[in-house]
Amino acid sequence: MIKAGQIERGVALLIKGQPFVCVDREFVSPGKGSAFVRLKLKNPSTGQILSETMKTQDNAEEITVESRDCQYLYNDGENYHFMLTDTYEQIEVLMENYPDYEFIMKDGETYRCTFWEAQLLEVQIPSKVVFEVAEAEEAIKGDTVQGATKYVITETGLKIKCPIFIKQGEKIRVNTETKEYLERVNS
Amino acid sequence: MKNIDKIKSVKNRSLLYSNIRNFFNQKDYLEVETPSLSSTLIPEATIDNFATQFVSEFIPSRELYLIPSPEIFMKQLISEGYPSIYQFSKCFRNSEQIGKQHNIEFSMLEYYSINMDEQDSIDLTEEMLLKTHLENTPSWALPPFRKISVNEAMKTYSGIDLEKCQNQYQLYEKAISLGLSSVVKKESWESTFNRIFLTYVEPNLPKDKPLILDNYPKQIDCLATNKTNSPYKSRWEMYIGGLEVANCYDELKDMDKVKEFYRKEYSIIIRERSNSNRVIPDINDEFYKLFNAFPQTSGVAIGMDRLLMSQMQIDNIEGVILFPFSDMII
Repeated sequence: MIKAGQIERGVALLIKGQPFVCVDREFVSPGKGSAFVRLKLKNPSTGQILSETMKTQDNAEEITVESRDCQYLYNDGENYHFMLTDTYEQIEVLMENYPDYEFIMKDGETYRCTFWEAQLLEVQIPSKVVFEVAEAEEAIKGDTVQGATKYVITETGLKIKCPIFIKQGEKIRVNTETKEYLERVNS
Repeated sequence: MKNIDKIKSVKNRSLLYSNIRNFFNQKDYLEVETPSLSSTLIPEATIDNFATQFVSEFIPSRELYLIPSPEIFMKQLISEGYPSIYQFSKCFRNSEQIGKQHNIEFSMLEYYSINMDEQDSIDLTEEMLLKTHLENTPSWALPPFRKISVNEAMKTYSGIDLEKCQNQYQLYEKAISLGLSSVVKKESWESTFNRIFLTYVEPNLPKDKPLILDNYPKQIDCLATNKTNSPYKSRWEMYIGGLEVANCYDELKDMDKVKEFYRKEYSIIIRERSNSNRVIPDINDEFYKLFNAFPQTSGVAIGMDRLLMSQMQIDNIEGVILFPFSDMII
């Protein structure tokens, strides 16, 4: 058991038999009223988002999660395929249940993952990642408008808006939460 | 860079306070300064307190408390025949969660207007914001106010008509049907209401203008008057940009009801805090006597840190206060 006031981002809870991970929390005390915590919880296996407000003194059922290293192998358009690096066991999960991870995991890269009873809850992707630009439109000659942008596609398939000077084969740093271009990386 | 921002917020605070002082002084409100340390508090079961010790060689030592609001002293002044009064004060609430909107010590503006009712004090607050705001305050933090009742907001954003859910069980059933899993059968109507309000209503309240929420349900106990033949109290709250900034009561002036409020709140405090390290403050059993001939008064409390946040468009309270508590405990 855990007090609701102790629930932080990343804490996993069992609600009606389903695992939920806290993705956002905010404390509120309405009027001169008791202290509550407003939680946004996500069920990783269904993608369901649950909004819940608990008294900070309420008990919640915390579940113990396990962290393991997984190598991301590939996706087949429907499932992501991973391999647990310690046992070489392969697992697959439905892509549509993990929309946040679309186009940001690199084939062959190892990520720290959290599991609950063999169920993948979270892939810990760094908040800033360097990607190689796989496809980029040529900048139009003479287009010197300040702040002009174009779309490029990264090695992972992420379509992203960036400045027109970015060329194919170059490396860019991307915010993986907002999926926005941050800067060019000189290699 | 960080310092430049801080200095700007310090300057803005000083300017805003000075504008507000001018506003109330011109209206002949008396600025008062009452103690931060008190030997008794108004019992409020939902607010945790700070206690300290008075020590002396010659007279018995005793416990003193940091005030969670200056209400206890300001009401005493009103009862003694003072005119309308206002005060900027520091308030202290223990166990307060540390986050973007809370600091355990915060600044409050309280004004008590004699012979004013709910609508008068809404008008006064609207005029005050209009005349005192900082330059570059965004239009969403400025009048005109938008006003809706708590029940209209509940109906719009949660689909629940409170007038059809006057008992806790009816409200519990609704909460369950909305999908709230933490709600419990045996809890107060107020707790269930808050779970629904905070999950579905408060985050969706319109943010384009300061919002007055009025007609608070009478099940939420406080020192505001009950409206006659109505399930509501004469209480309003103001939200700016979705953040709760002000709380206002038509002050309860019925001695028996004040006495009853004291008794109920104190018994909850004793029950909940006896086996813990939470402070059980001393209370003044005679406090209700102040209301023997208490005038019609509207009391408004405005969180100054939050008001400043809205006018400067800063979303973290630490951006407008020097030495936030979170820095002290790292």
